[in-house]
Amino acid sequence: MKVLELKNVNKIYNSSEVKVHAVNDVTLNFAEAEFAAIVGPSGSGKTTLLNLIGGLDMPTSGEIIIGGTNLSKLKSSQLIDFRLNNIGFVFQSYNLIPVLTAKENVEFIMTLQKWPVKERDERTLELLRAVGLGDRINSRPTKLSGGQQQRVAVARALASRPKFILADEPTANLDSKAATTLLEIMEKLNHESKITFIFSTHDPRVVKMAHRVITLEDGKVITDDIRELPA
Amino acid sequence: MIYSIAWKNVWRNKKRSLVVIVAVTLGIISGVLLIGIMEGWIKQRLHDAVYNEVSHIQIHNNEFIKNEEIDLTVGNIDEITRSIDSLSEISGWVKRTKIIAMANTPWANAGVIVYGIDTEKERLVTEIYKEIVPDGGEYLDNQNTGDILISDKTAELLKLKQYIVTDSIIDELRKEKVPETVLIKLETLKDKRFRSPRDFREALRKEFSKKELDRFGLLITDEALDYRIRNKVQITISDKEGNPIQGIFRVCGIFKTTNTGFDQTSVFVNTGELAKLYGGDEILTHEIAILLNSIEDADTVREKLSRFSGDNSVRTWKEMAPDAAMMNDYMVMYYFIFIGIIMMALAFGIINTMLMAILERTKELGMLMAIGMNRRRIFNMIMLETIFLTVVGAVVGMISGWAIIEALGKTGIHFTGWGEGFEAIGFAARVYPVVTLEFFVFTTIMVIATAIISSVWPARKALKLNPVEALRTE
Repeated sequence: MKVLELKNVNKIYNSSEVKVHAVNDVTLNFAEAEFAAIVGPSGSGKTTLLNLIGGLDMPTSGEIIIGGTNLSKLKSSQLIDFRLNNIGFVFQSYNLIPVLTAKENVEFIMTLQKWPVKERDERTLELLRAVGLGDRINSRPTKLSGGQQQRVAVARALASRPKFILADEPTANLDSKAATTLLEIMEKLNHESKITFIFSTHDPRVVKMAHRVITLEDGKVITDDIRELPA
Repeated sequence: MIYSIAWKNVWRNKKRSLVVIVAVTLGIISGVLLIGIMEGWIKQRLHDAVYNEVSHIQIHNNEFIKNEEIDLTVGNIDEITRSIDSLSEISGWVKRTKIIAMANTPWANAGVIVYGIDTEKERLVTEIYKEIVPDGGEYLDNQNTGDILISDKTAELLKLKQYIVTDSIIDELRKEKVPETVLIKLETLKDKRFRSPRDFREALRKEFSKKELDRFGLLITDEALDYRIRNKVQITISDKEGNPIQGIFRVCGIFKTTNTGFDQTSVFVNTGELAKLYGGDEILTHEIAILLNSIEDADTVREKLSRFSGDNSVRTWKEMAPDAAMMNDYMVMYYFIFIGIIMMALAFGIINTMLMAILERTKELGMLMAIGMNRRRIFNMIMLETIFLTVVGAVVGMISGWAIIEALGKTGIHFTGWGEGFEAIGFAARVYPVVTLEFFVFTTIMVIATAIISSVWPARKALKLNPVEALRTE
């Protein structure tokens, strides 16, 4: 089942002197439970593509359809609610709310979705246990290592039961051990929850573990290598 | 959870938040103190104007208001007094004889207004009997003939007030823990008589350093003060034919109100004694002073009495003490002006702090927008942060302000240096600050309103952030 479709998506930045074609006629489909990596050199358009998929930016032309909804047809306020309920985000620099504990960071998104308190609490604990932080629920981000913070971010992204998770270079700030642990957890969660994970990455470890590798160059899809279809 | 985040965000940068909180606290304390002092002065002026000077209502002959002549008495007096007695709003009233006179002592003279009063009834209407200065004799007594009650200021003008340092005064000062070095210097002034405070102050200034004078000057002056009680004062008035007539009175007591202007022109004698002087067959009534149960009834009672007044004029305290009335009426405006200025200063401080906070948290706000926190919630979060920040300062300020006012309300604040100036225009040198509950409620509403208004700019700035660009910031 398709969770995400990109049809002839273009993103052109017009500055006064130069015209940058950041995403060039990209057409892609993502199915449920995919574990896909978008790779390419710096400036190839990975982050721009991720921003477009995540509804943070609008394409110059083309269509992005998530679960049957065309993002271009949504008003700005509708788009925010759409992101809340359909897309999970994991950022390179974790971006947790520093004044909240791990538990509060995870349940924050469910509070925005107005989950009942009991269900929210249960899911938060379940997710933090799933990412191996069941014993750190009351720690603030400053008391957690980079790897642990990123695991909280993954739990937060999963909390809202999104259709897919976008992760922008999630291992870029992590050491080898933390990165491997994170990737293993993400792969396990992908397998168990059937939620699609889409990464932009430079990290060969991510590329190695990905089931599908999309290579971008100058905003164009050069290769789309599906190694293993999810079960 | 938005409330929780907003509250926790306030304490992210403790130092910065504390600076704003302290600023709000100090702003509120200064506002409370300023308004408390003003309110205290206004209440005191209003009280003293009514209870010492003009009462709530006075009735005079229309012509007497223009020319205070002896034969211009209140007309139709029986009907007026019957109507006064029939009104339930009235708590007490008196008839007075009021004659312009010249007061003389062997050393000086002064123009005064002599009030002939019924001392017992007068106690029900005025509080002059409470204003007798320490060691200043006694209030008038109906039984003692030939007595006169004068003010501290009149005593000074008539040179019935003197300053003299004696051994007993030096002993008193020693008990008050005045250092021996000061007392030794004071010995040089011993047994010298000074007939005016200015002369005594001048003599002290020559003997003592400024520091010594600041610390002990007031105490020495108070102790050395001596009134010449039972001294004779000659009062000269004009009879109905315009012939001058004199009478001798003995000073029974010295009073001092907060209004030097009133004090220096007012002397009191028993009404019968004054009648003997002008030689009339009946006691002349130039003034009827009425005290009401409630100041709010002044206009209504005036209306009622005006129906029987004939050629008399019925006036309320507002017409007779317009300064007190004006201040009382404009107090709300003063509130708005002072609190408005303080709030405006606070608003700029708050806006600056919140703009800084938003600048620092651009990336985090971008993340919140990205993951689906809508504009309304972001706006509310920033607004709540601003309100929490301000309200913490306001609560601390209000409690501290209230505690300071409570303490100063008991001890009062003595404006030593400006006392004479204040008393010349009817304000006490010692003010007892007062703040009403309404003021606290009003200020709380103003603080919250200021916080909400101040939050709009920073919150709008946060809303204008583009999540993609915000996430890129470091």
